Amino acid sequence: MEKVIDVQSLRKDFKSHSSRSGLKGAFRDLFTRNYKVISAVKDISFTVNEGEMVGYIGENGAGKSTSIKMLTGILTPTSGTVRVNGMDPHKEREKFVRSIGVVFGQRSQLWWDIAVQESFRLLKKVYNVPDDVYNEHMNHVIESLDIGPLLDKPVRKLSLGQRMRCELAAALLHNPKLLFLDEPTIGLDVLVKLKIRNFLKEINEKYKTTILLTTHDLTDIEALCDRVVMLDEGQIIYDGKLAKLRSNWGEGKQIEFQFGEQVSGEQLQPLLKELEAEWTKGDRDNVWIANVINEEHVISEVIGRVVAANRITDIKIHEISTEEIIRNIYEEGMLNG
Amino acid sequence: MKHTSIFFLYVAQYMKTRLTYRVDMLMEIMSDLLFQAVNLIFILVVFGHTNMLSGWSKDEIIFIYGFFLVPFAIFGAFFNIWDFNERYIVKGEMDRILTRPVHSLFQIILERMELESLFGVLTGIAVMIYAGSRLDLGLSWYDPIVFLFMVLGGAFVYAGIFILLASISFWSDSRTSIMPMMYNIGNYGRYPVDIYNKVIRFVLTWILPFAFVGVYPSAYFLGREEWYGYAFLTPVMGAVFFGFAIFMWNIGVTKYRGAGN
Repeated sequence: MEKVIDVQSLRKDFKSHSSRSGLKGAFRDLFTRNYKVISAVKDISFTVNEGEMVGYIGENGAGKSTSIKMLTGILTPTSGTVRVNGMDPHKEREKFVRSIGVVFGQRSQLWWDIAVQESFRLLKKVYNVPDDVYNEHMNHVIESLDIGPLLDKPVRKLSLGQRMRCELAAALLHNPKLLFLDEPTIGLDVLVKLKIRNFLKEINEKYKTTILLTTHDLTDIEALCDRVVMLDEGQIIYDGKLAKLRSNWGEGKQIEFQFGEQVSGEQLQPLLKELEAEWTKGDRDNVWIANVINEEHVISEVIGRVVAANRITDIKIHEISTEEIIRNIYEEGMLNG
Repeated sequence: MKHTSIFFLYVAQYMKTRLTYRVDMLMEIMSDLLFQAVNLIFILVVFGHTNMLSGWSKDEIIFIYGFFLVPFAIFGAFFNIWDFNERYIVKGEMDRILTRPVHSLFQIILERMELESLFGVLTGIAVMIYAGSRLDLGLSWYDPIVFLFMVLGGAFVYAGIFILLASISFWSDSRTSIMPMMYNIGNYGRYPVDIYNKVIRFVLTWILPFAFVGVYPSAYFLGREEWYGYAFLTPVMGAVFFGFAIFMWNIGVTKYRGAGN
């Protein structure tokens, strides 16, 4: 399969000067400055194939946006090679950006004061999209995102959800092979999120558009991406299937019992004897959680024993959420999944 | 070809937005006119005390001022990117610019243009006609063509200097007060350089060549043959400075650090 993104030992250092303290320090700063080199991205390598949807995750300051900016040609790498769509993003910037679409959730691509369709018209000219291609492709996009009624409104009058759908349409105007989405669903309500997710799935199937998605909302990633690349302190700490991440780290389930009466840890402890399970106290009164491994007989045995011995008003079974898994990974700082 | 059509689409869009705020536009033109009038009055006041300034008469200096207004208007309409640092570097709008397939500076010029300034071309020509008629200046068939080159040269000198200053932001995004100072220095080019001391004259000719926006090219139309050498250098200086500015800009873009680091 064709490699859409090929990154080899990519690195970005930022030089920042640290100012000395005091008035004397300030004078010395005038003449010689102390520079501190901060590496935002430390020799990362990965490849993405055509048609993949990859979740790119990491905490704030992990190097996500710096690396995305190098992939989109905004920043020049300090060292290493980047090939995206067969081009060097920074060197052939103007030619390169024709082949990608970018949505930065925090930053608008559209002109604030003018109607959405006027923005589209300007972008159409900037990307030099022929009329027939534009009409066929955009009619479909506009319909799927349901933004037809918004086209004659100025961007400043749109709600966040409406604006975001228009942003997405604008990024796809030239039908790029590769789409970078940075926090595309930030602050959106559930319905809009669902609409955007479905739309992304659809274009991925229809045009084989490769999508690299950065988000703090892991439900986006669960809904869309098979693969995740996880960054921490400028390095990739996990690159692989989301499912594998879950099975390696998310082993086990949690069974939450709401007891009908006051119970204590000592009372409950014997119930889990000889089972791979342990109790933790829940966050409400009379709620206890049994953490068990993900095996049928253990789960039913635990439930059976607890129910037989106590009065129960409610039972819930949780899988450990991806968010928790990822939090665990960051807390433990493990380097290999 | 592609750039021209993008340019006109932006201009059309600009007019459309501006026409919805008609009062704003009128106010801007009025304040420009007022500003120009104040400058003119200043010249008249100076000449209330003296008839000649280093061998230049009042009408000649008014003519130079009139000429200056024309390239300055073009500069003001397209290259007035004094807020580049704040708007594009600090707020990170440069990210967006860099994800579009058109030269970054060209996009910024399109986004920041202020076509109202072009009104200054008319004022400038009117002032020149007034002063020119009092000086009995003749006009040959090729003078309009020379005028065009001189104006473009002057506008490019101005543009070059301001683009160079804007490019500094790629290396250092700390705020500076260079821009307002530069507007002041720019005004020196409106007066004959021989009234200044040698160092200032050198600076205005070769370092910050604002003299090529006012005095030097005007000297040609005023028939001051001793300055012809400098006058004909105007388009060359424009091309050199503008070219150098774009060169530095292009290097600067590779040094762009992005917002929020």
